[in-house]
Amino acid sequence: MIGVVFGLRLGRWGIVGFSLAALLLVFAQTAGFYQVAGTTPGARAAFGSAMATLAAQLVALFPPPLRPDTVGGYVEFRGFHPLAVLFAVWALVSATGFARGDEERGVVEAALATGTSRIALIASRAVGFALAVTVASAAAAAGFLIGVASGHETVAAQGVIQESVLLAAVGLACYALSLLVAQLAGPRLATAAAGALLLALFLDNSLSRAMSSLTAWRWLSPFRYYDLSQPLPPGGYFDSRAFLVLIGISVIATAAAAAAFTRRDLGASLIRLPSIPHRPSYDVTAAPWWGVAVVRGLYERRLGLLAWTAGMAVMALSFVALTRTIVQVLLSIPSLLPYLSIFVHQQLYPAVLGYTWFNVAQLMFAAFAITYVARWSAEDSDGRLEIFLSQPLSRAGIVLERMAVLAAGAVLIAAVSGAVLFYASHQQGIDLNAQRLTAASLMLVPFALVFAGAGSLLAAWNPRAAVGLLGAFAFASYLDTELGTIYKLPVWLLDLSAFKLFGTPLLNGVNGRNLALMLLLALAGIGSSILAIQRRDVGA
Amino acid sequence: MLREMAVAAISTSQLTKDYGAGRGLFDLGLHVSQQEVFGYLGPNGSGKTTTIRLLMGMIRPTNGSAHVFGLDCVRDAVEVKRKVGYLPGDIPQFGSLRGDEVVAYLGGMRGGVDRRHVRAIAERFDLDLNRRFREYSSGNKQKLGILLAFMHRPELLILDEPTSGLDPLNQQEFYELLRETRDGGATIFLSSHVLSEVEHVCDRVGILRAGRLVKVAELGELTRIRVHHVEVEFAPGEEVPTERLRLADGVEDLTVEGQRLRCTVHGNFEALLQAISGSRVIDLVSTEPSLEEFFLSFFGEPKPKALPS
Repeated sequence: MIGVVFGLRLGRWGIVGFSLAALLLVFAQTAGFYQVAGTTPGARAAFGSAMATLAAQLVALFPPPLRPDTVGGYVEFRGFHPLAVLFAVWALVSATGFARGDEERGVVEAALATGTSRIALIASRAVGFALAVTVASAAAAAGFLIGVASGHETVAAQGVIQESVLLAAVGLACYALSLLVAQLAGPRLATAAAGALLLALFLDNSLSRAMSSLTAWRWLSPFRYYDLSQPLPPGGYFDSRAFLVLIGISVIATAAAAAAFTRRDLGASLIRLPSIPHRPSYDVTAAPWWGVAVVRGLYERRLGLLAWTAGMAVMALSFVALTRTIVQVLLSIPSLLPYLSIFVHQQLYPAVLGYTWFNVAQLMFAAFAITYVARWSAEDSDGRLEIFLSQPLSRAGIVLERMAVLAAGAVLIAAVSGAVLFYASHQQGIDLNAQRLTAASLMLVPFALVFAGAGSLLAAWNPRAAVGLLGAFAFASYLDTELGTIYKLPVWLLDLSAFKLFGTPLLNGVNGRNLALMLLLALAGIGSSILAIQRRDVGA
Repeated sequence: MLREMAVAAISTSQLTKDYGAGRGLFDLGLHVSQQEVFGYLGPNGSGKTTTIRLLMGMIRPTNGSAHVFGLDCVRDAVEVKRKVGYLPGDIPQFGSLRGDEVVAYLGGMRGGVDRRHVRAIAERFDLDLNRRFREYSSGNKQKLGILLAFMHRPELLILDEPTSGLDPLNQQEFYELLRETRDGGATIFLSSHVLSEVEHVCDRVGILRAGRLVKVAELGELTRIRVHHVEVEFAPGEEVPTERLRLADGVEDLTVEGQRLRCTVHGNFEALLQAISGSRVIDLVSTEPSLEEFFLSFFGEPKPKALPS
C-alpha cells in the first residue's frame, strides 16, 4: 500500500497534468460540437457528412467515427481517440521513468533496501499507474458530461463509463508493455525501445485500415482492442472480450516484467550483449568536435537525432504510401465526387499529403522541442548546468548554444524527411512542388523554435515545472487552432499558436507575415529566457 | 606585477545570501591571499556551499559583494571562471558519456586543455577515462570531478568537500596534488567538515557556523584548540599511570576501567605520550570529535540548527 502511495506521490504532477488535459480536451470538443454542428437534424446530418470526409483523410491515424452527427460519435473521434494516444505516451514515460529513471537516481535501490520485494515493487507501481490512469479517464468522462450538459442534452451513462474504462485499459496495457521492454533493454535504450514498440503497435493497427497486408497482424496491437469498441454514440457498442484482452495484456506483461526484474541486476538489462574487450586509457579524446560550439551538442545527441531523423523519414514514406488509399476513400464518397473531380491529378494528392503529413510533422516537431527542453531541465537539476557555468561561458551563451543545437537538429530532420517525402511521392507519381516543399519543410524549424523559445523561458524560470508547462502550452496552442474558429477567438490570440501560424505552406506557399510572427515569438522566448536565467540562482 | 600580487585571490565584503527563516550566509568578510591554501570548515548546512556558489556566480548575493582576483563574481563571472577550477559538492550526471568525452566536452567549452596534464592526473589517480560515466563508482566520479577542476592549471581552485568518496590512499594522493599545485603558484579554497583534513593541507582555516564566519585561524592556532578522544589499553598486569596522566598538560576527562583508559586531549599529544612512556601499551586509539562536538568544546554551546547545504 505504501509502495502504491509512494508511486502516486512521485507521479503526482503527471496525474494532475494528464487529468486536466483530458478534462479540457474532451470538454472543449464536446462544447465545440454544439457550436458547429447546428441544431436541426438537417444541419447535424450535413455536419456528420463533413466529419466523415475529414475522418477519411485521417483513417491512417484514427478509426472512422460512428455517427459523427451526434455528440457521442463526434467526441469519440475528436476527443477520446487522440486521448488514447496521449495516454500511451504518458504510460511510456511513466513506465520507463520508473524502471530506468528511478533506478538511475537510486530510488529503486532505496525501496528494495527497505525489504520490499522486486515483484511487490513492480506490482505497486503498476497498481499506482492503474489508479492514475483511471482518475485521468474519469476526468475525461467528466469533461464529456459537463460539455453535454452545456448543450442541454443527455447521454447514456453506461456508454460514458465504458469509454472511460476502455481508455484506462489501453493506457494500462501500454504501461505494462513499456515496463516489460524497459526490463529487457539496457538503461540507455529502454525509453527508445519501448517507444518504438508502442509506435510500431499503433501503426500496425492504424495502417492496417489502409493496407490490407497488415490486417493479419493487427491482433498484436492493444490499440486494435481499443478500436473494437465505440460505446459513446447512439447505437454504439462495447466489446467486452476486447476489453478483457487489454486487461489480460496488462496483467501478463506486468507479470513478465516482474519476472524479468527478479532475474536481472540493478542498472543492467535482462538481455546482455557480449561486451567488447576493455582497454583502459588515461588520455582525453582527440576528437575535434568537442571543441566546436553547437557541433559538440549535436554530437552528444547524435543517437537521439539519428533516431528522430530515421523515424520521421519512415513516417514520411508511410504517409506517401497512404496518400493514394486516402484519396481513393475520398473519391468513393459520392457526394464529394463532383467537387473532387475538378482537382484529381492536379491538387488533390498534394493537398491530402500536405494536410496529413504536415499536421503530423508539426506535432512531432513540437514533441522534438519538448524533448530538448526536458534535457535542459534535467541539466539544471542534476548539476550539469552548474558545471557548464563553471567554465568561462556566459549564461546567454549557453542559452544561445542550446537553441542553435536544437535548430540544427530540426534542420536536419526537416531536410531528410522533406527529401524522402519528395522522392517517395515522385516514385508514386505524385509530383510535389519542390520549392514549396522545401519552404514548407524548413518552416518546421521556426515552428520548433517557437516551442523551444517558450521552453527555454520556462526552463530558466522553473526547470522542474518546465516540461509540464510546455506540454500544456503545446496543448493549448493545438487547441487554439482546433477550437479557435469554433469559439470565434480573436485573431491576436490565434496568432499566438504556432500551429495556426504554420498554415498550409505546401499548398499556398509560405505566408511571410506568419513566418515573421513565428520568428518574433521564438526571439521573444529566447530573449526573455536569457533575461530570466541571468537573474536566477543555479544549483540552489 | 606588484599591484597584481597585492590583489587578494578571494575577498568578500558583507556577503549575504538570505534564504529566510535565519537560513543562509550572513555578512561574510573573507580575505584569501594568493598562493594560500584556505580551509573552509563548518558542519552540514552552515553555509559552505552557499559561499562557494556565490564565489562562482551561480547564485546572486542578497547583499554585499565577492571578488576573485579583483573581479566581481557577478558582473565579471566569465572572466572569473577563466581563472578558476571548480569542484562542486555533487558531481553532475554525465550518463553515457565516457570519461575522456566529459573532459573533452568541458575542455572544449573552456577553449582547450593541456592533454599531458590531464593524462598525468588521470594516471596519478588511476582513473580510466575509457569508461562510461554511469559505470564509474562514486570514488571514480569524484576523481573525474577533481580532474575537471585541475585540468586547465587554474590560478584558483574552489573545491567543495573534495575528498568525499575517496579512499584513504587517494585522499593522500589528493593532498599531495594540492601541495604541488600550491607550490606551483595556485591559490586553493577548499571546504570540509573534517577538522583533520584541513589540518593536513591548509595554511589558514575559516570556521563557519549557522551562516556566519566565527573564526579565522592559523594552522598553529587550530592545532592548539583541537580536541581528540583517546583510548589507551595497557598490557595485562601493567600499572596504569593515572597520576601522571592527571597532571599531563591538555589531558582531561580521565576515566579508567581495568587496563583501559579514556581521556580527552586538547592541543597536541606530547604530554600524553610522555605520561605513558615506559608503560607497555597494547592499543591506542585517537578519535577526532565531530564538528558539533568541537563547537561544543570550543564555544561551549550546543550545535546550531542544521541548515540545508
